[in-house]
Amino acid sequence: MQYKIGIDVGGTFTDFLLTSKDGSSEIYKVLSTPDDPSMGLMEGLAEMAKARNISLKEFIKDVETIVHGTTVTTNAVLTRRGARTGLLTTKGLRDALEMRRGIREEQYNNRYTNVEPLVPRHLRFPVEERLDYKGDIVIPLREEDIFDAAKLFKKEGIEAIAICFMNSFANDAHESIAEKIIEQELGKSSPYLTVSSSFFPSIRFYDRVSTTVLNSYVGPILKGYIRSLINKLKDVGFKGVLLIMQSNGGVVSPQIAMDKAAVTLLSGPAAGPVAGIEYTSVQGYDDCLTIDMGGTSFDAALIKDKTPLVTTEGEINRLRIALPMLGIVTIGAGGGSIGWVDEGGLLRMGPQSAGSKPGPACYDLGGELPTCTDADLVLGYLDKDFFAGGKIPLNYERAERAIKEKIATPLGMNMVEAAAGMYRVINVNMASGVREVSVKRGHDPREFPLVVAGGAGPVHACMIALELEIPVMVIPKESSIFCAAGMLMSDLKHNFVRTYSTSLNKLNKKKFRSMFNEMQKEATELLRSENIPERSIQYIYSLDMRYVKQYHEVNVEMTADELERGNIESVVSKFHPEHNRLYGYSLEEVGTPIELINLRLTSIGKTTKPKFEKEKHDKLDPSDAFKKKRKVYLPLKGAFEEIPVYDGHRLRYGNRVEGPAVIEQVNTTTFVTPEYNILCDKYGSYTMYLKTKEKEIKKKVVGV
Amino acid sequence: MKIDKILVSVFQRRFKSITEEMSIVLEKTTRSPILCEAKDFVTGLYDGKGKMLEQTENLPILSFSLGPVCEYIVRYFGDDIHAGDVIFHNDVFSMGNQNNDVAVYKPIFYKDKLIAWSASKGHQADVGGAVAGGYNPRATEVWQETLRIPPVKVYERGKLREDVWDLIFANIRFDIVAADMRAQIGSCVVGERGVQKLVEKYGLKVFESHKEYLFDSTEKMMRAEIKTIPNGVYRGESSVYYDGRTPGSKYKIRVKITVEDEEITFDYSDTDPQTDGFVNGTYTSSASATLLTFLQMVNPDMPHNDGMVRPVKIIIPEGTILNAKYPAATTFGNHLCPPNADAIIRALSHAIPKRVTAGWNQLLCYLTSGFDPRKKDSYVDIGFLGLKGGSGATHGVDGYDHIGMIDASGGVLDQDYEMFEQQTPHLLLHHEYWPDSAGAGQWRGGLGVETKFKIGGEKTKVVTFGDGDEEAPFGLFEGKTATLNKIELQYPDGKVYKTTSKDLVEDVPKGTILFQQAGGGGGYGNPYLRRPAQVAQEVKNGIISIEKAKEDHGVVINPETFEVDIKETEKIRKKEK
Repeated sequence: MQYKIGIDVGGTFTDFLLTSKDGSSEIYKVLSTPDDPSMGLMEGLAEMAKARNISLKEFIKDVETIVHGTTVTTNAVLTRRGARTGLLTTKGLRDALEMRRGIREEQYNNRYTNVEPLVPRHLRFPVEERLDYKGDIVIPLREEDIFDAAKLFKKEGIEAIAICFMNSFANDAHESIAEKIIEQELGKSSPYLTVSSSFFPSIRFYDRVSTTVLNSYVGPILKGYIRSLINKLKDVGFKGVLLIMQSNGGVVSPQIAMDKAAVTLLSGPAAGPVAGIEYTSVQGYDDCLTIDMGGTSFDAALIKDKTPLVTTEGEINRLRIALPMLGIVTIGAGGGSIGWVDEGGLLRMGPQSAGSKPGPACYDLGGELPTCTDADLVLGYLDKDFFAGGKIPLNYERAERAIKEKIATPLGMNMVEAAAGMYRVINVNMASGVREVSVKRGHDPREFPLVVAGGAGPVHACMIALELEIPVMVIPKESSIFCAAGMLMSDLKHNFVRTYSTSLNKLNKKKFRSMFNEMQKEATELLRSENIPERSIQYIYSLDMRYVKQYHEVNVEMTADELERGNIESVVSKFHPEHNRLYGYSLEEVGTPIELINLRLTSIGKTTKPKFEKEKHDKLDPSDAFKKKRKVYLPLKGAFEEIPVYDGHRLRYGNRVEGPAVIEQVNTTTFVTPEYNILCDKYGSYTMYLKTKEKEIKKKVVGV
Repeated sequence: MKIDKILVSVFQRRFKSITEEMSIVLEKTTRSPILCEAKDFVTGLYDGKGKMLEQTENLPILSFSLGPVCEYIVRYFGDDIHAGDVIFHNDVFSMGNQNNDVAVYKPIFYKDKLIAWSASKGHQADVGGAVAGGYNPRATEVWQETLRIPPVKVYERGKLREDVWDLIFANIRFDIVAADMRAQIGSCVVGERGVQKLVEKYGLKVFESHKEYLFDSTEKMMRAEIKTIPNGVYRGESSVYYDGRTPGSKYKIRVKITVEDEEITFDYSDTDPQTDGFVNGTYTSSASATLLTFLQMVNPDMPHNDGMVRPVKIIIPEGTILNAKYPAATTFGNHLCPPNADAIIRALSHAIPKRVTAGWNQLLCYLTSGFDPRKKDSYVDIGFLGLKGGSGATHGVDGYDHIGMIDASGGVLDQDYEMFEQQTPHLLLHHEYWPDSAGAGQWRGGLGVETKFKIGGEKTKVVTFGDGDEEAPFGLFEGKTATLNKIELQYPDGKVYKTTSKDLVEDVPKGTILFQQAGGGGGYGNPYLRRPAQVAQEVKNGIISIEKAKEDHGVVINPETFEVDIKETEKIRKKEK
């Protein structure tokens, strides 16, 4: 048992990182198989076996852990291919799911339509019952309604059911009865059932009903996928541990993922921040920003004190998902982003993308529109004969023509100016994505090292950093399969929430304690079922609080000691400064009372991480890796210049590459502008820094 | 100076993201629900002369008065504007749109030169005057509605003028207003920093020249949009019902729209004179309404800056209901947006039939206040839960369900049900789409909503304001009209009182049920052309009744299977043709 494998299924490629006990690692990439993603996954495993000249069965015997990030739930929502779902909800309120509180995201666009609800109105079954704000029964449950619903659901061929009643966060009595009747009438395991009071007992009706329905909608699909994957792995004799990536940046056992399928909904980019922490903490950083630029989208995240930012205000395709997830900002900017000129004569980039079909004009697959990749090519950042290590030859003339026709001519400039403009505009767009996760949340991006990932990321990194005045960047060796790497570094993680809405001075400490105890018991049992011993479990307690009459809560952590002693005062003393940090003021001096809304518990089960091989220290001079010289456009100079190109696979720990330069690897290219230098660290990552920072960085990376 | 066209795009993006950052500060820090929940505020940046650079317009009706007031302030203070000044303003007789919409302006300096302004404006919970909250149907003069704040410096060169601050807040009822105004100042500081950074980076000369280029390019875009409208003179009118004083009173809004190549003029000279009460517009509230309605008929991607408004001329003579003379009461003015929009839509339906919508549901809102014995505290609740009706349909697209008035166009959210019950003593009994409320058509209007809740607590007062309870939203091109607004109090003793559209009911007993119907939007095109399968689906979903399907659409549906009876349907549809 010596291998751990991280597997990230993307839109175009499935990425693999294989790590061995001895610290070595290998990257694999195969084409994704969207109809059944497990096929691509098995193909990748087969390739690994083949590279070792052994059979898959022999190879798999040595695999200890597979961590798998899947987008099957995400895609089910995006393409509307989830389960046929029915909803049981309180009579009189059945449209909350579809109304989405009445928002129209594009106010001036009368052709913009509402999102089709995941459950059509005739399958949202109204049930006579009612609890008040405290959970006391106002109208008793009419059980006949549940029997009638069961009949309807049977007749309609329902595959999944969600139960969500008004105020059930305060009392699960009615939902439990409904659950029992449904199970009794329709069977225990089929259809897939989600009950809001046990799945997500948190106040705010729309948030809860939307999240509960999403879970049921994607549940059967994830369940089916994981089962088939487990069978395939079993068939080849896999005896190790399989773990699934979640949107909260943690991993989970397949059994639990099948019950709480919605925890995987935005898990695609969730391993990125975890990876960012690992790559920067080896250099002594506690904080970092991560960016990941792929073919169609750009993800940005912020990590403070080795902890990624978590949000409960997520959305998928305009549908609310209130489970805690990493606060990752995604914008439509990638290699495939299309450049266009608007009616007023301004240049725009994206959000439309040429995708992989027809792809950028230079792919020569029929694409006529100029994309970011086309601009990168004509500006000399990409080598037409060494894209994807030469696997995809790029057509320079087609790129040039597309840019000339669609951008240069309408704007009355030459082709190079137009391409440089495209490069610049998309960099500004991405910089505003970074600003959104940093400045808008009260953090100064200049204080964070920027971790750059994704195939296209390192081509654009310097200019994004200059735009934001960021002095230091880290480009991991595994940059192109960043998320697959992050998966191997993730811990098991579960989130729990209970609503206890009260003014703090009326807080019943006994009730408060018992709610936390209840969550902790649940957490421990869950992790035990995932084979995590109690001593490897870490608990994080926190409270959602706000000033009386405010509408938005601030989450404040509570230590185990504070919980033990019931020391609310000391938590409050952290609330005021946190409010001030986030929003620019506190009402401590005015003496405004504080109210509690939610209690939260996060449980973390530590997993064993792969160890990466350290390189031996080499000389400063990188000339052993020198490839050739090439003409490349220097943005701030506004002209082409002949600059050195290096082979990234031959760069060694301690080598310094002075900008301007280009570093080529099979799956990614790094463009170092004249303002920056690069120093290679002992794990094969590049630290890119403003030349003025040389001394400081050398000390961090090389130690002298 | 040579223009770097790419840099122009950079500036435009940056202006936009700065105003968005300013908006987030307000959303997260304000305490009055109308601000933090309903987002009834806007933020913006203006150049040194007060010309719009970019805005974030959660509630569009507020946003197009920020620029004119900024220009007024520049004229008013002349060379007495300094770094560190903070200026408050709400006065409707110096370009403000509504008394309750209080603005904060902060001049932005670069090396001792005034280069820009940041501004934020929000609907404040109280602005003094005779009645808490500002809505006073009995008002006949501005002083009965508000404390007038013509431009006044509350900070001068970075120093708080405590005397001025105290004078203002000595005249305001609720403490949270001062806190929310602090949040607005914070928002402007965020805007100031953003612009200063930009100018530091690129230099003032580049900033100025590229800003002008941006204005010109947006102007070009707007001109191109106007050019797609056939030249001509188009007229439209609509009615405003009940001025809050004389039952049965009615006023006309009349607009004459002239399109001449790349320019468009909205002329309201034939509009009826102002009322004696508070149902009066101000120039900027009415011009904002005109602009936001027109913007829905052009490319929604257009940047919002001064260039956008240059080819648009708006004439609203003083003394009309849309531009009342000093010292008229005007608090209702923002809510003249829906009828104003109706007049514009009717006029332009002749010119660009495929780009206009049918009539939208108009605002009718309740406000409850009283004592909550659970918390031993008073409460006020502006009824965002219940007021959102449907939008009008347009060519090719159904109306938007439960969107609310056109002044917000889906930018204002209704309260979360469970939060509503935590924060008021009421019990929500019903809040669902109102079946058969939408106007039928080849494309139907948006659905309205029915809301019912049981009033708890003591000393309850119910205030209503709005419209739409006398004339239903109109259909277009054979599309049908939609349904009326209604608010009704069902007392525990069985008595029922239907409120007027501008009402104040006191001593409402506990256990009374407030029932509200927010109507749908008008339909577009002949309902007989709607696909029968679509009608059947809507019947199955319970938003159209079987009877209405037959009556409006000529579609016969089997009540058991919800399938279309094709033969019968064809028969009816043929006969009617």
